[in-house]
Amino acid sequence: MNPSTTKPMSYVAVAVAVFLAVLLPWFAPNQFYIHLATVGCINLMLVLGLAIIARAGQLSMGHGGFALVGGYVSALLSMKGWPPLLTLFIAGLTAAVIAAALGWIILRLRGVYFVLVAFAFSQIVVLLALDMSSITGGANGLVGVPPISIFGCVLRAKPQFYPFALACALTTLLLTWLLYRSPLGTMMAATAENQRLTESSGIDTHRVQVIAFTIGSGIAGFAGALSTHYLRFISPDSYTFWESVSYLTMLVVGGRDGVLGPVVGVLVLTPLPELLRSTEGLQHIIYGTMLVLCLMFVPNGLASLVQTWRSRQRVARTSAAVVAEEVT
Amino acid sequence: MSMDIILAQTVVNGLMVGMIYVLMAIGFTMVFGIMRIVNFAHGEFYMVGAFLFAILYGSNGMPFAVSVLLAIGATALLGLLMERIVFRRFRGNELNGMIASVGVALILQNSALLLWGSSARTVPPVLSGVLSVGGIVFPWSRLVVIIGAIVAVVLLNLLIGHTRIGRAMRAVAQDAEIAQVQGIRVDVIFPAAFVLGVSLAAFAGVLMAPVLSVSPFIGLAPTLKAFVIVVIGGLGSVPGAVVGGLLIGLIESFAGTFVSASLSEILQFLVVIGVVLLRPQGLLGRKEREA
Repeated sequence: MNPSTTKPMSYVAVAVAVFLAVLLPWFAPNQFYIHLATVGCINLMLVLGLAIIARAGQLSMGHGGFALVGGYVSALLSMKGWPPLLTLFIAGLTAAVIAAALGWIILRLRGVYFVLVAFAFSQIVVLLALDMSSITGGANGLVGVPPISIFGCVLRAKPQFYPFALACALTTLLLTWLLYRSPLGTMMAATAENQRLTESSGIDTHRVQVIAFTIGSGIAGFAGALSTHYLRFISPDSYTFWESVSYLTMLVVGGRDGVLGPVVGVLVLTPLPELLRSTEGLQHIIYGTMLVLCLMFVPNGLASLVQTWRSRQRVARTSAAVVAEEVT
Repeated sequence: MSMDIILAQTVVNGLMVGMIYVLMAIGFTMVFGIMRIVNFAHGEFYMVGAFLFAILYGSNGMPFAVSVLLAIGATALLGLLMERIVFRRFRGNELNGMIASVGVALILQNSALLLWGSSARTVPPVLSGVLSVGGIVFPWSRLVVIIGAIVAVVLLNLLIGHTRIGRAMRAVAQDAEIAQVQGIRVDVIFPAAFVLGVSLAAFAGVLMAPVLSVSPFIGLAPTLKAFVIVVIGGLGSVPGAVVGGLLIGLIESFAGTFVSASLSEILQFLVVIGVVLLRPQGLLGRKEREA
């Protein structure tokens, strides 16, 4: 959704999509669809976090690690009696602080090193969660995480949790869209486009990338916490390397530019694991194949197809208008 | 057990694991140095090599040498296929190449899961018994791994240092365009380097199969180790991979024996952060050339 191409038509489309998402609990045939939509909302937040980092020209293979940090922080604090609504934000903040420190050190290096170290970091988080079993419950994880309650209303069942997850996801979507339109967003895009040139324009690209990494990982921490309070459970297996990979797949398949890409990626790929639950291996093979095929044939993601189609239409319309003018 | 014996065993274990990491890291760093692709699927070729060896040698009882050659050959062929279909298109495009390799890793790991099942297989040791030197015993099963890996590294060094194709590879690693101008057939060097890297990973898998058990999920851990090692040793540097691999192997073995396994992982991560802070080009790496 490039700001320059935003037309009244797209506002209508966005409004209709939001309207349908809000109405989902009423026309969903059963609770399973609501569950799927909730998972989609959480995935969307994680993928948006990844998209923000990608916007600044970086790739985080440790995204799941930050979600895991967030999940554990929120679970542990809320099990001590803190209100979950507060611990969600503390979880996001903790992940953001860790990302800021880690990013400040490793983002001084060129791309590949960052990816390798971020990946190694997420593995360390999993190991720590396994190892500090007196606090984290080790491989068994933490069971019975308290549900979120807002104004005395406890979000225990699926239909109650879904509106909250949707609100969180839509807020994240809106904030990401605003971020992309802000001067900082422009600096991020410029850094991704040509780091050296951006640097020579007087922009501290290191800082821009650290900020993007901090925001993106903070969102991951928040989303990880949200998911933990939804499932009421977290374990080291909740966010492994392969979870990070599936968010990356959603981002690449959907598209890396703009906020439409993550939405498309999540819509296409969230239902897939549920449809293929019986054959888990097959699901991953399909993910992998889609990832590779997308990179080969639609490197800008499925969302870019919409944009190409739109601009083609515009060209067709203008040329039609020119023809009409010439005729008259 | 006296301290001497424990120390000797720890060193042998450290060297064994270290040499496997060296094999993994060399292949990984070569593919990056020459093709500029961070291959997240590197460990999956290790897994495939180990699996093929387990099936040929362990389950079907084929002769050792035949099993080794067939396992490595088949994995190399798979590598060539992947290079042709996937990696070739992403040469020089670091970001997309890396993402594509993750896709390949997913496909390979889960194909193995569908084909061979998730249960772990054990492979009988190639040599049993022990070698005792001055009262200290070394199990042959581990010495075989160390010796095999050393032989592979020495052969590789000869190949890179003293043959035509080795020289061509070094030239392409320095600057692919200039190398092409000099008449080096880059189109041949790229797949050759990739297949060589993959074969090293497969050989590491073959060596480790009798020591560890084999399952579709064993690829990720050595991939992570290869990453850690090349960051420590310097991305693209083969001597750096050797030093880094042995260092990580020994840290792992000593910390694992005397403290705890997860502490050793954290220690390795701290070493990485330290290297990144103090010597960003890696212990033996060259500074990234300004493009």
